Amino acid sequence: MNLPDYFLADLPPEATLSPAMLAEACQTLKRNRARYLAGRSTEQLMSVLSDVAAGWLKPENTFRKLALELGPAETPFSRETLQHGLDDFFRQITRDNLHALLVQELGDVRRLDTLTATEMDRKSLRAAMAVGPEFLVHIAAGDIPNSTWMSMVLGLLARSAQLVKCASGSSLLPRLFAHSLYEADSKLSACLEIAGWRGGDIDMEDVLFAEADCVTATGSDETLAAIRSRLPIKTRFVGYGHRVSFGFVAREVLSPLRAPQIATRATDDVVAWNQLGCLSPHVIYVQTGGEVSPERFAELLADELERREQTEPRGGLPVPHTAAIASRRGIYEVRAAHSPETRMWHSKESTAWTVVFEADPRFQVSCLNRFIYVKPVKDLAELLQHAEVVRGKISTVGTAAGEHQTEELGLQLARWGVTRVCPLGRMQNPPLTWRHDGRPALGDLVTWADLEFQSSSSSSSSSFS
Amino acid sequence: MNKDLSSFAARLREVIPNWQSAIGNRQFSELALELFALQFKYNSAYRRICEGRGVSPGVIEDWTQIPAVPAAAFKELELSCLSPGERIAVFHSSGTTEQKPSRHFHNGESLSVYETSLWQWFEPNFLANSKFKIQNSKLVVLTPPPAQAPHSSLVHMFETIRSRACESADRSFFGTVATDGSWVLNFEAMLAVLNSSLVTRHPSLLLGTAFSFVHLLDFLGEHDLRLQLPPGSRVMETGGYKNRSRTMPKEELHALITERLGVPWENIICEYGMSELSSQAYDSVAGDEWRVTGKGAVSRLTPRVMRHFRFPPWARVQIVSPETGREVEDGETGLVRVFDLANVYSVMAVQTDDLGVHRGDGFELIGRTQFIEPRGCSLMSV
Repeated sequence: MNLPDYFLADLPPEATLSPAMLAEACQTLKRNRARYLAGRSTEQLMSVLSDVAAGWLKPENTFRKLALELGPAETPFSRETLQHGLDDFFRQITRDNLHALLVQELGDVRRLDTLTATEMDRKSLRAAMAVGPEFLVHIAAGDIPNSTWMSMVLGLLARSAQLVKCASGSSLLPRLFAHSLYEADSKLSACLEIAGWRGGDIDMEDVLFAEADCVTATGSDETLAAIRSRLPIKTRFVGYGHRVSFGFVAREVLSPLRAPQIATRATDDVVAWNQLGCLSPHVIYVQTGGEVSPERFAELLADELERREQTEPRGGLPVPHTAAIASRRGIYEVRAAHSPETRMWHSKESTAWTVVFEADPRFQVSCLNRFIYVKPVKDLAELLQHAEVVRGKISTVGTAAGEHQTEELGLQLARWGVTRVCPLGRMQNPPLTWRHDGRPALGDLVTWADLEFQSSSSSSSSSFS
Repeated sequence: MNKDLSSFAARLREVIPNWQSAIGNRQFSELALELFALQFKYNSAYRRICEGRGVSPGVIEDWTQIPAVPAAAFKELELSCLSPGERIAVFHSSGTTEQKPSRHFHNGESLSVYETSLWQWFEPNFLANSKFKIQNSKLVVLTPPPAQAPHSSLVHMFETIRSRACESADRSFFGTVATDGSWVLNFEAMLAVLNSSLVTRHPSLLLGTAFSFVHLLDFLGEHDLRLQLPPGSRVMETGGYKNRSRTMPKEELHALITERLGVPWENIICEYGMSELSSQAYDSVAGDEWRVTGKGAVSRLTPRVMRHFRFPPWARVQIVSPETGREVEDGETGLVRVFDLANVYSVMAVQTDDLGVHRGDGFELIGRTQFIEPRGCSLMSV
């Protein structure tokens, strides 16, 4: 099944994109925005988005079917992993959640429509509106579509003409979302472009950066620094860089009854998007002194990963990725043969999943694709000491702890620099209102316009209710 | 002195020079199984790994079943049959930034096996198809001399070649170790020697790492120098770049060597070796024109079609699937695993982190496996 050529990324691979074509596309996007998007209301946009998302959740939806059919060949995910991932994402895009997001980030759901005043604004005799960038460029990276999809949603709410630049060969899922928007509202999608080329094409990027009012980018620190250094001073830059995540299981919940349930939740996080996200755990730290030992927990996790492989297989990967897993396994096999401080469990005759238990509590970066470390720690303080090398680079900590402990854990982690703490099992599935790496995702895109009233004419402000 | 290993080493040194008649598949298998039994017995770190896999000399029938140890294990374990007192040399893996290098220990006997092995495969690959004797050529080595790099197996190899070529050491090595530990070249001295060969018309034999050739070519480029080395001159380059120079695709490097030094493509060969092994592979036989041209012209654009690395008959390579650990089909990609009989006193079967494509009796090298970074969310170094 082929998609119609609505977007640049739909063109066959042999059709090479030139800087001139790209410049023209930018102009078209801006024109279309003025005609079809700038005047839309937030209400209308929320309707379209929530309808499109609801569509994606239906088994018969064309785009969902295409994602599940073409995805296993074009992405590193199996059909089941994709299914799970896109359900988790599109379930979040509801009217209520979009409403909550706008209120959280802008104080009022109509901020992008007109001048409005919150209660606080009224008290200080002012009103304000938020204005999105005219032309918003997203430099997407990676195979997980969530961040790109979310950028597109935010860009639409901000009434921006948008161009999403995908890494070459990974445009399928962003394209399918764009096509679903086209089907729902072709004029809206005329303000959106999806294109793919190899990163670092200076000529192409120069065209793009000269036109953009705001650039969002996901990538390594080096990539972000390179992009930022080339942007004109007027252009806003929102970069999402290096992040890793880990889990923490407190001893209180390590009873023989609960430990397997927690291992199941940890498995959810390892399996989701094959662990490839910034929000996916590299290590599950397990507190010592519980009824179930960290080593036994690692074994439970291995059992669950094996079970999960039957229902939600990891899927095939290119050789360099499986070779990375095989090479690492080789090292841990050698260590396990020489010391009881290392143990390893893994899928047989495949690289589908690996659990490495290491008594050494130092934070260890995983090679991912369902390769998880389990490490024992005495307490959170010891954990943080051993995670010092990645301090400031942590996205999410998934915890399993007693109810009374959760808040205290959250506080300690927040003070240490973690920007998101969530229950284990939900690491890769943040709410729509998640502050991406601690930043307001929509709030970072807009520019505010404030209106202040004279104190004598207090009646004027009453219209902003 | 371990009599069992010593007698094996002595036999191997007799067999290797006669490899054409003495090492067929059957002989290789017999020697490999015999060596495995000895290493299982005398190398305790290796034995534990084998036991972890439930493999012992009694239960396997074929050399392909001999457990391979990851090359990285040489960093963590003393994978040696030699007791600390017997060791007279140790070769480290290269790379200036490595905190914990691989350690491959040797005694006099194992060095002697190494020297026999390297010479017996270097000679038919690098010196073949030549009307010049090595003694009538000028050896130009682009590494520091052994005194400055005692832990480099590559430098030891070049030193062995130098002594067989009866060159004087101080006129052959043109590299030196800088204060920061990096290898640098003495361009002026090297240039003087290369220029004098233009007069004597004795061919030059240049041996070095890929990054040292890049340094040399950059120097020649900066000074706009082009040499036309005498006919019969040859180049052997080896190894990766390890951040010691700008990286360059192999085809480009070879084309530049031809352009700047006048050595034709068919006289440039690549070596594949590592400190954990005692035998090397070469990707072609120098001067073997049919490999390059068939009957037509040299095609620089498709050299890889013809070239692939081959080990000597006393070392066998398998390209194994990372998924299953079994050998992949011809044309498929996998990890390079080497069974090297010349590794008498350490471990014969070494699993590398290198990716290669299975090509007939050899392989095409793709590169080193990285601990893959997920794109867009890249990891800190491990």
